[in-house]
Amino acid sequence: MGMTQQYLAGELSVLLGRVQAVTTTEAAGRQAWSLRVAAEQGPIQGLGWVTVRALALIDRLCWDSLNRGDIGAFNRQAAAGAALREFGVCSCLLRDT
Amino acid sequence: MAEDTGPEGSEEQVSEAQIAVHWREEEYYPPPASFVPQANADDPAILERFAEDKFPDCFKEYADLLTWDQTWHTTLDTSNAPFWKWFVGGRLNASYNCVDRHAAANPDRTAIVFVPEPESDEHVHISYADLLRQVNEFAALLRDFAGLKAGDRVTLHMPMVPELPVTMLACARLGVIHSEVFGGFSGAACGARIADSGSRVLITMDGYYRAGQMTDHKVKADEAIAAAAKEGQEVDKVLVWRRRPGQYASQTPMADGRDFFVDELLPRYAGQTVEPASMPAQAPLFLMYTSGTTGRPKGCEHSTGGYLSYVAGTSKYYQDIHPDDVYWCMADIGWITGHSYIVYGPLALGTTTVIYEGVPNYPDGGRPWRIAEQLGVTIFHTSPTAIRMLRKVGPDEPEKYNYRFKTMTTVGEPIEPEVWRWYFTEVGKGQAAITDTWWQTENGGFLGSTLPALQPMKPGSCGPGVLGIYPVIYDENGDEVPAGKAGNICIRNPWPGIFQGVWGDPERYLSTYYRKYNKNPDSKDWHDWPYFCNDGAVQAADGYYRILGRVDDVINVAGHRLGTKEIESAALTVPEVAEAAAVPVVDDVRGRVVEIYVSLKPGYEPSEEMEDKVSKTIETVIGKIARPRNVWIVTDMPKTRSGKIMRRVIASVSNFADVGDVSTLANPEVVESIRHHVQAAKLAHGEVPRELTEAEQAEIKAFGAE
Repeated sequence: MGMTQQYLAGELSVLLGRVQAVTTTEAAGRQAWSLRVAAEQGPIQGLGWVTVRALALIDRLCWDSLNRGDIGAFNRQAAAGAALREFGVCSCLLRDT
Repeated sequence: MAEDTGPEGSEEQVSEAQIAVHWREEEYYPPPASFVPQANADDPAILERFAEDKFPDCFKEYADLLTWDQTWHTTLDTSNAPFWKWFVGGRLNASYNCVDRHAAANPDRTAIVFVPEPESDEHVHISYADLLRQVNEFAALLRDFAGLKAGDRVTLHMPMVPELPVTMLACARLGVIHSEVFGGFSGAACGARIADSGSRVLITMDGYYRAGQMTDHKVKADEAIAAAAKEGQEVDKVLVWRRRPGQYASQTPMADGRDFFVDELLPRYAGQTVEPASMPAQAPLFLMYTSGTTGRPKGCEHSTGGYLSYVAGTSKYYQDIHPDDVYWCMADIGWITGHSYIVYGPLALGTTTVIYEGVPNYPDGGRPWRIAEQLGVTIFHTSPTAIRMLRKVGPDEPEKYNYRFKTMTTVGEPIEPEVWRWYFTEVGKGQAAITDTWWQTENGGFLGSTLPALQPMKPGSCGPGVLGIYPVIYDENGDEVPAGKAGNICIRNPWPGIFQGVWGDPERYLSTYYRKYNKNPDSKDWHDWPYFCNDGAVQAADGYYRILGRVDDVINVAGHRLGTKEIESAALTVPEVAEAAAVPVVDDVRGRVVEIYVSLKPGYEPSEEMEDKVSKTIETVIGKIARPRNVWIVTDMPKTRSGKIMRRVIASVSNFADVGDVSTLANPEVVESIRHHVQAAKLAHGEVPRELTEAEQAEIKAFGAE
């Protein structure tokens, strides 16, 4: 939006920082970082795409943690994912389903 | 009841159901009766004072809200169009206007109330006298310790704490240009802005509370400095405010000789005063970085006189701020909303402004309403995203608390009528006037809104252009679009709050905002330079605007917003594809689905294998959600004479909608060929179209406008 929606990029950046903090592999950490850079530096129109990719990343991390039996990591990742999804829905970057 | 007139001039009878839906969506809400007599703008004569025949001198009314060291001789200088100069010859100081003059008149009035996120912490009330002392002392530190002078840039990377406006106002006192980076952004983002602005000083904080946790913020300073250094910009000094005096909230060590605690330096400057620098009205007050559609974020440079007068005037008339109000904008000062409507606008009017450190729903959904009750907040200002979130987590919370807002502002995105109504009836308790505002970082302040006492509210619409703003909607060819039709919204005239340019990149300012609809690049007449907002809009018969969305469009598929550029870029990675255009198709289940049109390079033939290859590539690059419903391989795309693909034409084809006027295309003959090919195939596959609603038609017609 041309409208002053820059704050959506900011809030998404914060949430992606949280996603980055709960990654358990270097590759996942790099991916989370790339998404954060995309949110901060890219156009506002790309934020929905960034949110979708971030949720997909969190989803993979959660499954990986479950498979390894790392409940602590799973809980942190699920919480980060839930916060990201809630923001995505409230900001209309995602539709509530 | 009005009868709907179709595009061919035929009259259609409107059903009772459509009438009910129409009126529910379009109903007007008058301002509460108790609001009108006390409103700053209660006399319709104000609309006449700002009519176009009074432009640009009408803005003297805004400028007269400020104290000037020297009065201007020229209200608007257009000699270097479109680099407008407002109040030329005038001199003033923003810090004086926001602090000194109120400290002299009402020293004990609260300027800032700081609400820490931990609910057990006391609120901090800072009077105008206190604020003046703090601003003076910090300005002395910036001048004598950091060596800053007028025209220097300094980057701030600070959270929502009172030290942030103190820092901003101290910079303004010296004529130093501040550039605040949103506190939640990474160090790398901060570093990029340090480099672009050429800042040698970074001002930051050790940590702050967010969602119940103390966040290590100082760690980002080191990242920022490293990032800036990679781009060739060195930072000499890092000034670190401590969230809790005497305690250090970061794990990161302070760098000797570079990093300094502000609270250890300030005693040297205790009691010092710094004369506010008398700045030309055009002197930059601050930079605010904003994302573009392409390339790096750009630094919007805002002026002193024009900007400050505009935010003071719009704060007075649109948010109805009086000096004895308690005003709370829940945005972050790191965004233009916070600069204009937490710091500069409210303080210029001498009111009390609330700064809340944390997230709205900490520790629960009732927190904002408890704050409102405790402080006696009278004016509230937030975003639709925050409203939706608060409605989700605590729809019944507002009624538990005893507060009374007289006005509420919303900003940042269009707000859907259902959410608007919750905001009105629950948050506002049916007693507050809502100003639904539309504007951008580049504008300094509101462009579209209703005057709360004079113009009724209409859910989902921002209202007309604000005082002194004359919008127009153009089509792709620069022709004015009539009411009811969608197009690109522009502002025909300059206004005092408009930014002065993109820092270090005048060409970007010209090309992004003015070149598209400029009528004569040599003209000094502002009429020839409409400002292109990069937003789509529709104007209703009543003159109110509904903002539709950015002209670089996004397709919303089952709640996922997909950028057309990403989808097209993915398709273009297929070696055989020459051009690609993604369009939305209305779908009753998913809302919208994607179809993609591609043309192939010479030597390649269309085939099902090729369609599948394009489809699979998009899925691989972006994800399953982006997989197009159909891939249409065409011999050529409909294009303008300048070579741009006319996406709205192919979007109309895919939606069985009227393609509109194609006579101005470079290749109009291709449209019929595409239409026949695509629509015959869809019908053969049982994709029976339904008639689009007016809103859907408007969306399709506006799609892809650039």
